[in-house]
Amino acid sequence: MTARRWFTPWLFVAPGLAVAVVFYVVPFVNTIVLSFTNARALGGGSFTGLDNYVRLAADETFWRAAGNTALYAVVVVPLLVILPLLLAVLVQPQLPGIGVFRSIFYTPVIASMVVVGLIWSWLLRSDGLVNYVLRSLRLIAEPLPFLTDSWLLLFSAMFVTVWKGLGYYMVIYLAALANVPRELHEAAAVDGAGAVRRFVSVTIPTLRPTMLLIGILSTIAAAKVFAEVYVLSGGSAGPGGRAATIVYQIREVGLGLGGEVGYASAMSLVLFVATIGFTLAYVRLNRESQP
Amino acid sequence: MQVVRRSALAVAGLVSAGLALSACGLGGGSGGTESQAAGPVEGDVEGSITFATLQLQPTFTEYIEGVIADFEEEYPGTEVEWIDVPFEGAQEKFVADAAAGTLADVVNLNPNFAQPLVADGAFVDLDEAAPEVEELYVPGAYEAFAVPGEEGHFGFPWYLTSEVTMYNQALFEQAGLDADSPPTTFEEMYEEARTLTEAGAGSFYGIHPALENRVATDLAKLDVPLLNDDQTEWTFNTPEAVEHVETLAALYQEGVMPPDSITQTHAQEIEAYQAEQIALFPSGPNFLTIVRENAPAVADNTAVAPQITGERGAANMAVMGLLVPRTSENQATALEFSRFMTNAENQLAFSQIVTVLPSVTEALEDPYFTDTSDGTVDSLARSISAEQIATAENLVPVQFDDRVKNALVGQVQLAMQGEITAQEALDQAVAEANQISFGS
Repeated sequence: MTARRWFTPWLFVAPGLAVAVVFYVVPFVNTIVLSFTNARALGGGSFTGLDNYVRLAADETFWRAAGNTALYAVVVVPLLVILPLLLAVLVQPQLPGIGVFRSIFYTPVIASMVVVGLIWSWLLRSDGLVNYVLRSLRLIAEPLPFLTDSWLLLFSAMFVTVWKGLGYYMVIYLAALANVPRELHEAAAVDGAGAVRRFVSVTIPTLRPTMLLIGILSTIAAAKVFAEVYVLSGGSAGPGGRAATIVYQIREVGLGLGGEVGYASAMSLVLFVATIGFTLAYVRLNRESQP
Repeated sequence: MQVVRRSALAVAGLVSAGLALSACGLGGGSGGTESQAAGPVEGDVEGSITFATLQLQPTFTEYIEGVIADFEEEYPGTEVEWIDVPFEGAQEKFVADAAAGTLADVVNLNPNFAQPLVADGAFVDLDEAAPEVEELYVPGAYEAFAVPGEEGHFGFPWYLTSEVTMYNQALFEQAGLDADSPPTTFEEMYEEARTLTEAGAGSFYGIHPALENRVATDLAKLDVPLLNDDQTEWTFNTPEAVEHVETLAALYQEGVMPPDSITQTHAQEIEAYQAEQIALFPSGPNFLTIVRENAPAVADNTAVAPQITGERGAANMAVMGLLVPRTSENQATALEFSRFMTNAENQLAFSQIVTVLPSVTEALEDPYFTDTSDGTVDSLARSISAEQIATAENLVPVQFDDRVKNALVGQVQLAMQGEITAQEALDQAVAEANQISFGS
């Protein structure tokens, strides 16, 4: 009887496994294979060895996109690790009406990125609300080209990412904060520690694993940033596409009837390796720095 | 703590894996290359076919469904299933369908969308399958579905548009310009744009660049050879092209165009015209319908003039066509349906709903296209563009696909901002375009 049931567990995981194989494993292997070919959107292409990677190494557009993506991560990740924590600490106390604030902070998370991007692109236009306010306050004489200057566009996109991500990471922190033992705070308070001292010496060390998780999640999110730049720039990634990120560039190269699928696959594989590499380095650094 | 770290890693790994998958492509070749016996397609007109259009719902649902019903009535035993594909993402859908061999039996494409699929052998050659149809259509439109390097013509031309110059007479008057004498040359247009912007003082501008829609067409109008004669190299970095880009750069830097317009598209140009933020609007007369719907007051102030062309006087036209894939299992019905959809009667009816032009010469001769007695701007736009269409051409080569366009537009944007010179921009654009199209 038992001998016949060896496959029972497999039956339980079969649906999930099938989805994973069909939608993840097969396309993933396909991407690896394609990255060594000159495949186009139409036509299978032929094996070209490392040609795509050699071309990639000398492709200025790709490296500019890689630089933009790295800058994105460098700016956005620390903000997304720290700001939601401060926000979570602010809305954590059980005060009357605090739920309203939590909901308000969480609202951008549930809004579609496209809708959010469009709203911000209206706000940031040269004749938009942001420029209007800045001019009314006499902070600027001429409207700032938020959408037509590559750097300003990139930083505007970063701002939107942070603004939209705050609520999501805040909720993760709120869950973690609930697990910080009250006795630790009480003991620190008895020892004469003020609120700031307790935050630095009690809250932060206890939340360290959560901060690591959020660091990794936001790094990955930054590595694949696309929608913010795409929508804010109306699909152009700024004049000359100079605010392009890696995923934007992959899409640019691989999509459409003339899309170079092989080359785009090589790009996405480089992004994959880089992301995994950063993630592992992150975890290792954290482990080494732990007492 | 260990658990959190492990799950963090697991999540990270999973999401990263997802990243690499995001660009996965199609491993197989196209399904369109299966060779079909040459010669006229034989078989009875019966059975069911599918018909894919480009973004015609919901505005034209009633018309298309009406024609389908008429066809099914005329050919008992036939059934047409209509699928409307939104313009956004249409290319991706066609690529996937072509690779899987599941393109609809009749596909509505413009020549640029059709070109790579035709080059891949995806469509029935009408010169062989239906040689008698050629003489029915406007020559420029029939030619638009020929592809360099491929013998034959692959599309039944369907509806056509030929740009006219629309302009806001109220804004012209406000700027002290003669509202009844619109610009007739590029120079005049840019000069009047300057005057208009000055009068607008920030509340309206003369013109919108809509680079993605216009820059290549304008270069072609100025006799810049976009491709070399052998069709093996892009060549739009000639001195004439440099001069044109320098003019655009000067206009942008002087503030004649709206500041955000540099990266905007035709869609925002329409919005700007409707909002009276720009005074000149060179575009297909079909957009008059949209302006009238969204901003009736602006439509009332709109006047139309002939398309602005270069010295040669060649006007541009945009063509839509119907193509029958070789993979279609019911080619006889598909060809007959394409013929029916594009016949004089049906196209005439279509052009009475929206300001487009029929591609059938017989329909174009209808007095509807010359009669301006009702005095409306729509009938004037119709007659102007109908007059142009006889000699108009699809000026931009069919190989000018989205990526080549993006390469050119991106560099022109940089030149307009003054980051690089016009010459540098065009040289760089040509190099990028050659890499994209010819791998060199």
